[in-house]
Amino acid sequence: MNARIERDNIVTQSLGQIGACGLFLLQILAATPRSLRRHVRETVRQLWFVGAMSLTIIMVCGLFVGMVLALQLYHVLSIFGGTAATGTVVAISIYRELGPVITALLFAGRAGTAITAEIGLMRATDQIAAMELMAVDPLAYVAAPRFLAGLIALPLLCCVFSALGIFGGHLVGVTWLGIDNGTFWSNMTATVDVWQDIISGVVWKSLAFGAVVALIAVFQGYTAPPTSEGVAYATTRTVVASSIAILALDFVLTAFLM
Amino acid sequence: MSQRKSYAVGTGLFIVLGFAALAYLATQTSSVANRQQGDSYTVDAQFQNIGQLKERAPVKIAGVRVGQVQSIALEPGKAVADVKLSIDKRYDTIPTDSVATVYTSGLLGDQYVGIEYGHAKKYVANGGKLALTRSSEPLEEMLGKFFGAGGAADAIGGTYKVFARFSNVGTLSAGSPVKMAGVPIGRVVSVQAEPDKLDALVTLAIDNRYNQIPDDSAAAVFTSGLIGSQYVAIQPGGSPDMLKNGDEMILTQSAMQLEDLIGKFLVNGSGSGDGKQGAGASTSPAGKH
Amino acid sequence: MNAAAPSDDTLIRIRGLTTVLSGKKVFDALDMDIPRGKVTAIMGPSGTGKTTLLKHITGQMRGDAGQVQVDGKNVPELGREALYALREKIGYLFQNSALLTDFDVFENVAFPLRQHTSLPEVLIRNIVLTKLQAVGLRGAAQLAPSELSGGMARRVALARAIVFDPMLILYDEPFVGLDPIALNQVLKLIRTLNQTLGITSVLVAHELDAIKQVADRVFLIANGKVVAQGDPKTIAGDGSPWTRQFFGGEADGPVPFQYPASDYAEALGFPRSGA
Ligand SMILES: Nc1ncnc2c1ncn2[C@@H]1O[C@H](COP(=O)(O)OP(=O)(O)OP(=O)(O)O)[C@@H](O)[C@H]1O
Ligand SMILES: [Mg+2]
Repeated sequence: MNARIERDNIVTQSLGQIGACGLFLLQILAATPRSLRRHVRETVRQLWFVGAMSLTIIMVCGLFVGMVLALQLYHVLSIFGGTAATGTVVAISIYRELGPVITALLFAGRAGTAITAEIGLMRATDQIAAMELMAVDPLAYVAAPRFLAGLIALPLLCCVFSALGIFGGHLVGVTWLGIDNGTFWSNMTATVDVWQDIISGVVWKSLAFGAVVALIAVFQGYTAPPTSEGVAYATTRTVVASSIAILALDFVLTAFLM
Repeated sequence: MSQRKSYAVGTGLFIVLGFAALAYLATQTSSVANRQQGDSYTVDAQFQNIGQLKERAPVKIAGVRVGQVQSIALEPGKAVADVKLSIDKRYDTIPTDSVATVYTSGLLGDQYVGIEYGHAKKYVANGGKLALTRSSEPLEEMLGKFFGAGGAADAIGGTYKVFARFSNVGTLSAGSPVKMAGVPIGRVVSVQAEPDKLDALVTLAIDNRYNQIPDDSAAAVFTSGLIGSQYVAIQPGGSPDMLKNGDEMILTQSAMQLEDLIGKFLVNGSGSGDGKQGAGASTSPAGKH
Repeated sequence: MNAAAPSDDTLIRIRGLTTVLSGKKVFDALDMDIPRGKVTAIMGPSGTGKTTLLKHITGQMRGDAGQVQVDGKNVPELGREALYALREKIGYLFQNSALLTDFDVFENVAFPLRQHTSLPEVLIRNIVLTKLQAVGLRGAAQLAPSELSGGMARRVALARAIVFDPMLILYDEPFVGLDPIALNQVLKLIRTLNQTLGITSVLVAHELDAIKQVADRVFLIANGKVVAQGDPKTIAGDGSPWTRQFFGGEADGPVPFQYPASDYAEALGFPRSGA
């Protein structure tokens, strides 16, 4: 029987993880009303840790992504004499893909790992059990606030990322490469659609990514073996699983929503 | 507990910042920024071919945005596109004999409807019609080809080699195109430094089809676009003798400041606004915006 | 308190508790009655299941068979809400303190109050400082858990366990890592809590001397059963082989020192010498 378990391949294991993760999501959702009723403060605090504290990296990366995007696109578009479209293409690619995806990947690395390690250590040092014994439901006090914080923080971070990206694109395109300022903006505003690009790209996509990353991070922390090796491994898994989930989900969302 | 407060305040600021960014994206970088503030009136126009024109594409007069395309439908029973234009009330003095044309802003840009004023004393009213229209034309494609860098000529008939020395080749490299009058006629085979003469020796391979190049022609290093790839442009001279294999071109012009000016001209001409204007080949009134 | 129920002077009633953990029978039809309003000590060799027993009482673990009644309710059958309502009335001191590393000492002790009451800040402050004073750590209120020594952390955890003045407090090895002065204070505290507030205390400990000072009753568990019980002052001399071995500290006797294992000689690779 042991041999059978060892022969369990990666597919079976992953499926088991996904199933357990789904059940865990249901538990979190069930605990959410309680969490909001009794531990809103905790959600606010987590929003500070996973959201506000991630602002710097998000802003810096957004700026650079916008800048390099403008540089690359200008080069390619100049071949076709279409440099006037630089602003448009920068905006569209940030809103639809790069903004939500890069923000989510950065978020998984910056906040997701922190969540996993924190919860994993809380379990390893019996803090979770201590809460249970103080009649504080750790699902409502620990899991749900972090999940909600991730869910709320990622779209906001993505908005900031995108705004900085546009700014960076403008900086390179207009200030440096000399595209006409009016051309840059008017082409952008003529093409970018609020619903199709900003709401369904920046907002919906990153909301979905936020849910996935936060769920994976909390789940991995919650189920990590209570050892230093277990926590370390769970942290790694958070990054790997989130990255795969983000990119796969991105494809699915793009295919079906847009 | 002051700790608790600072979390709450910081978190509040974070949320406000996030929503401010969203509001900025939604109102300043999207088509919402183009929504008319005031009332508008509707005008009909029929086109043989609208190309890539889409709903909510801009309507411009003299390059200024005055409204947007409200709807596009096929005129029942005819192979004609019926386009309804929604135009700002402020611009209610469009002569009835004005011409509506489908233009493209840049080669890859979206299409828009440009209106050129006529001379009639009567103005188009709400629900009225612009009878004179012009559809999108293939001329643009030609212009685009002219301004684009294009590929190097494929040397079917073999090539002959000529040399040229430049004091500065910029970023020119092997494989860069050689053009005459904007048409690729060959490519750069090699760029070598000549230590004893402090300049660069560039070897050009020119298609045998173009063997009628005067030997006093000038070679210049140009850039397609501002940061686009560089190429060698050949400006024909007046000598009766033609360049032969192994000849050296005496007159050369290195990559220099002048090209910035030329580059800007090329960029503006082909990029912003519409290609037609740069070529001066059309009656388009649309300018830069 | 409710004189009508005859079972009332028994707060925790365990009947036929059987638990198997990773193939090992930790409890084998264990019976135990813990009196209300008294201090009860549970002793036993390491790994015998004392911590596990406390976990059954708080509903963190469920046995494979048997009943664990706390205050008249059978814990394994309680739903989430009822279980949490019961836990609000139980204080628990962890074997490894388990302080919340997110908060300082003050907030750790205040945590149960903040979660279950909406008392004004002044009152919370007073209660917390009183409890910290009782364990001698009022001055350490602003320290982080990582800045405490093991013994200090243990005392903070104790202050947290008693902050709610619960009906029942479970102490898992409260005396470990305490110096003689702190030990005396903690002993006094346990006694005071029991005498003035009538709080039932269950403590798991190995220090017979300390237990003699506070406990009214002691249970010795080994091999999944209660093997001896009685007055702490006399139990060591009751003459049973269990108590003689345990309190005498002898390696040989009915309690195996070794965790169940295969034959030693065989494990080392020697041929069996034959018995
Ligand atoms: N989660 C678990 N899974 C499997 N076995 C366990 C688990 N927890 C405890 N055990 C086993 O149950 C037995 C009792 O463990 P427990 O922690 O209750 O011992 P203890 O009496 O508290 O010992 P100590 O005095 O050393 O604290 C041990 O043999 C241990 O191996
Ligand atoms: Mg123990």
